Amino acid sequence: MLKLIFCELTKLKRKRFILFVILSAFLFPPPLALMMLTPRMMARYNMKTELFDDFFQFVLGYGVELLLPCVIGVIAAMLFFMERDNDTFKNLRIIPVTSTQMILAKIMILFLFGLIFCLSTAVVTIVCGSLIAETGGLGYKLWMAAEMGIFVTAGTLPLVVLVVFFSRTYIFSVLLCIFYSVLSLTAESCFEVLPKLVCWLMPIPLTNLWCAGDMVRHGVRGTLGGLQHLVPTTMQTALILGVMAILSILLIDRLYKKRGGD
Amino acid sequence: MNEYVIETDHLTKQYGAQKSVAELSIHVQKGRIYGLLGRNGAGKTTTMKMLLGLTQPTSGEVAIWGKTLLGNEKKLLPRIGSLIESPGFYPNLTGTENLRIFAALRGLKNRDAIRSALDLVGLPYRDKKLFSQYSLGMKQRLAIALAVMHDPELLILDEPINGLDPIGIAEIRSFIRALCHERGKTILISSHILSEVALLADDIGIIDHGVLLEEESLADLEAKSGKYIHFVVSDTGRAAEILKGVFHEYQFTVQDSHDLRMDPTRIPVAKIVSAFVQQGLEVSEAATVEESLEDHFKRVTGGEGIA
Repeated sequence: MLKLIFCELTKLKRKRFILFVILSAFLFPPPLALMMLTPRMMARYNMKTELFDDFFQFVLGYGVELLLPCVIGVIAAMLFFMERDNDTFKNLRIIPVTSTQMILAKIMILFLFGLIFCLSTAVVTIVCGSLIAETGGLGYKLWMAAEMGIFVTAGTLPLVVLVVFFSRTYIFSVLLCIFYSVLSLTAESCFEVLPKLVCWLMPIPLTNLWCAGDMVRHGVRGTLGGLQHLVPTTMQTALILGVMAILSILLIDRLYKKRGGD
Repeated sequence: MNEYVIETDHLTKQYGAQKSVAELSIHVQKGRIYGLLGRNGAGKTTTMKMLLGLTQPTSGEVAIWGKTLLGNEKKLLPRIGSLIESPGFYPNLTGTENLRIFAALRGLKNRDAIRSALDLVGLPYRDKKLFSQYSLGMKQRLAIALAVMHDPELLILDEPINGLDPIGIAEIRSFIRALCHERGKTILISSHILSEVALLADDIGIIDHGVLLEEESLADLEAKSGKYIHFVVSDTGRAAEILKGVFHEYQFTVQDSHDLRMDPTRIPVAKIVSAFVQQGLEVSEAATVEESLEDHFKRVTGGEGIA
């Protein structure tokens, strides 16, 4: 499997989009840092550590949850269309590499990118935060970013099922990803009116709820208000997203086999 | 007894109501080059895909080294090298990088395997040129390098000379021949070019509309497609009776009510014609015909011939 993962990474060599993807991790922290410096925002905090905590939450809440599904969706399109577009599936199958092995390797790459994206965002956020506020709890924040990377990637796998199912152009996949992110954000603004089950069945809003709750549990300033009853534990979040990810992988495998076969 | 590396038994592939390959039974002997000859769309590629497990047969069986492929993929496939349809590689990588991916996945331990394979097909090692910048001929060479890189015992090559220039064709031809005759590889190649198969193959299978029309050694085919005597007479039934009754000659075939084809004989043609006329037959043509391989293929494929 390690060989396959290494080969999947090699296949992305010289793909400029990958560079843009990594750079996009730096997109949200600087403007949000500037926003935090506005007098209206500054007035909301008594301590500079509180400002940093909120800044970090903003970046994870908006930056990661809005951008990462798009990034994962587009990389998935690149990875899953690659064999079809280049007609290399036959070369792999006669090695023999099964489609299941290939899919698992590609999904591992998605998790790897999710992790890199979140950790890069966290590092840039910490750097920007250190310029505007007092940073604290960095170990926890990096850990939280890593968890976010895993959770959001797992939560984006149902989107990857759609990308593979439609198996069309990259533009179509990008549109699908944007739609998914916007839908998730819209759902997040309706938490108060949505039933708990619906909130928990939507992967990105579920991750957002978990993130907010976990930060509060770890002493980061913030109030959950009326949403307290919606906040899942880490175990619940991992379980729900794990089941979604496994079902998605099974579906992707089935679709890929169907496409790669007769 | 012949040792078959590939043996298919009534192999059939059906797409809807259309049979792409029908009841195909081919036999590829060890250490020989087998040429699968047929027009475009005759079912050559589908057959090769079924041999490699890239597509599942509707019915029939494939045995490679006496074993069915299904369930034995991990044992059998590493012993096979193949080139199916167009060369498939990653356009953003160089030829060497592409081969390195497949070498890693194959677990090749020989570090020189990639360099040797590229040398064999005349492509530079560690060249900076990306696959997307390759010419059609270079792409084809890289695909052949991929097929031979792991030193397989069996090569399945679908139209290996596609896109090559005349010098390239000659190079690949002698390379394939050397692989078989010097290194003992068994090779199955497909082509729609008769002359190419005739120059390379030891055994030939003629496939048309998914049906195997003939399977013989090249030597037998050449002998078959030699000379014959062609008669056009008013009644071939009566002519047949005369040949049997008067000349005790049985080596002939009645093609229709007027055409009769006879193998070369020591009996003078004039004497046969005279006997026909004496028995009241009209003879409008009697000629000794020398049939080329191409004429033979045209005849077995129902007159459509092969390019």
